[in-house]
Amino acid sequence: MDSKEICELSISELSRLIQKKEASPLEIVEAYISRVNSLEPQLNSFITLVSDQAIESAKQAEKEIQAGRYLGPLHGIPFGLKDLYYVKGIRNTSGTKIFDGFIPDYDSTITLRLKKAGGILLGKLNMHPLAYGATGENEEYGHMHNPWNTALIAGGSSGGNGSAVASGQCPFAMGSDTGGSIRIPSALCGIVGFKPTYGRLSRYGMTPLAWSQDHPGPMTRTVEDCAMVMNAVAGYDPNDPTSTNLPPPDYTQALKGEIKGLRLGVVKEFFEVPIESDVSDSFWKAIDQLAELGGIISEISWPLYHYGTAIASLIQMAEATAYHRELIRKNGPQIYPPVRLRLETGIFISASDYIQTQRARTLFYHQSLNIFKNLDILVTPTVPVTAFPIGTTSLLVSNQKVNVISLLTQYTRPFNLNGFPAITVPCGFSKDQLPIGLQFVGRPFDEETVLRAAHAYEQATPWHLRRPPL
Amino acid sequence: MEKEVFLSIAKEFGLDLDDPHMEELYAYVQRVLPNLKRIEELNLTGLEPFMPYPSHEVSP
Repeated sequence: MDSKEICELSISELSRLIQKKEASPLEIVEAYISRVNSLEPQLNSFITLVSDQAIESAKQAEKEIQAGRYLGPLHGIPFGLKDLYYVKGIRNTSGTKIFDGFIPDYDSTITLRLKKAGGILLGKLNMHPLAYGATGENEEYGHMHNPWNTALIAGGSSGGNGSAVASGQCPFAMGSDTGGSIRIPSALCGIVGFKPTYGRLSRYGMTPLAWSQDHPGPMTRTVEDCAMVMNAVAGYDPNDPTSTNLPPPDYTQALKGEIKGLRLGVVKEFFEVPIESDVSDSFWKAIDQLAELGGIISEISWPLYHYGTAIASLIQMAEATAYHRELIRKNGPQIYPPVRLRLETGIFISASDYIQTQRARTLFYHQSLNIFKNLDILVTPTVPVTAFPIGTTSLLVSNQKVNVISLLTQYTRPFNLNGFPAITVPCGFSKDQLPIGLQFVGRPFDEETVLRAAHAYEQATPWHLRRPPL
Repeated sequence: MEKEVFLSIAKEFGLDLDDPHMEELYAYVQRVLPNLKRIEELNLTGLEPFMPYPSHEVSP
């Protein structure tokens, strides 16, 4: 098996090879390093590579496995981390050169759990500065590029993750999602991206953007891989005050391969906002496919959806400004200008405005729960457009000129506001051969049903098998 | 938001009022703050601010 073939395998396939001793962790890590070295000039997915350390860890993993100390399905599997997950001894830039010299002296909880599971860190991935943007543009470390067409955005803010996983530079990567930052790049790059329920994964040791909407989560090439990573990272963490003590299930057990009788809702208000015809065509074909698989489809109304962006963006702005207030004062002119504008605008949101907006969020949350009284899953498009050229600030969609940030987040942001679990899986390609994502959303802490539905759809369709032309 | 109020809050926070970027910021703030008016359209009677949910009330 050559190194490119190794890099096209899923985690579950790599794991089987390691267990059968048909491939060694060292062979796998070397294949990935070679792939990264050949693609980085085009994609710019990484900010920091730790190749030497990865090779040492692979040799160690090999010894442990040979000695019968196999740690589980992630043992010997390489991965990447968005450059806001703290790793002891490795710089953590959060996507800006202002923090180029910041080296954490401890691991984030997720870093630690992946290390304990035997995962091998390849490097820290490029991101939109301070995670405050949805395009994956970064003038300081260089823009992230979409592997399906390198002139186009990868999406953001976890854009390095999206391009790296889609192009076979790592089999999985951990991202973060405050308004869609896992799901958007996953959809635009044609991979699986999962934002579990708020509180399910620990945020400890990650640079915050907006505490009450930040969600860590995995980005993978298949739903099964996503479940495998969730098994390694989920669980209570006393270091995160919002971590749930509900015991996590075995997520791989949720992948039953069928959805017969599952009640699936389509939100009618989601089609009152701009959407490209290629995306809506793929979405409705996916709905037909889900019905053929035995899903019971119904249209539902979610009137407060139209308030979601206003509520979520105000809360996000106020919290981001609070966290970064010293940075704004001391380093304002050095901050990427569009991010600086958003951060400084939070100064003008008063305490009572913030609290009033959080009261509106309570209303939004209650209505979200009510929707699920007669439903198991919501199905939506993930992003209303496919990837567009780097540098674009507005697009004409459905005869409306729309700001790209509002557009990219219009279907993802509501689920940061209510904290419900949401996954994107590939559901087709545009006429220009660009990937399109389908989003499944479930009740709080019912990640199993979300994974089950997404997996059944994925297994019935060919979209996850396509690879970018690199 | 009136320009004077904007400048007063900006100054109190510690922004440099002589930075040419302030005009761009003022225009951006004027675009964002109307979102607060949208919140006022909602009936929030009896509602408390949202809190990240405690684990005992969230079982599916």
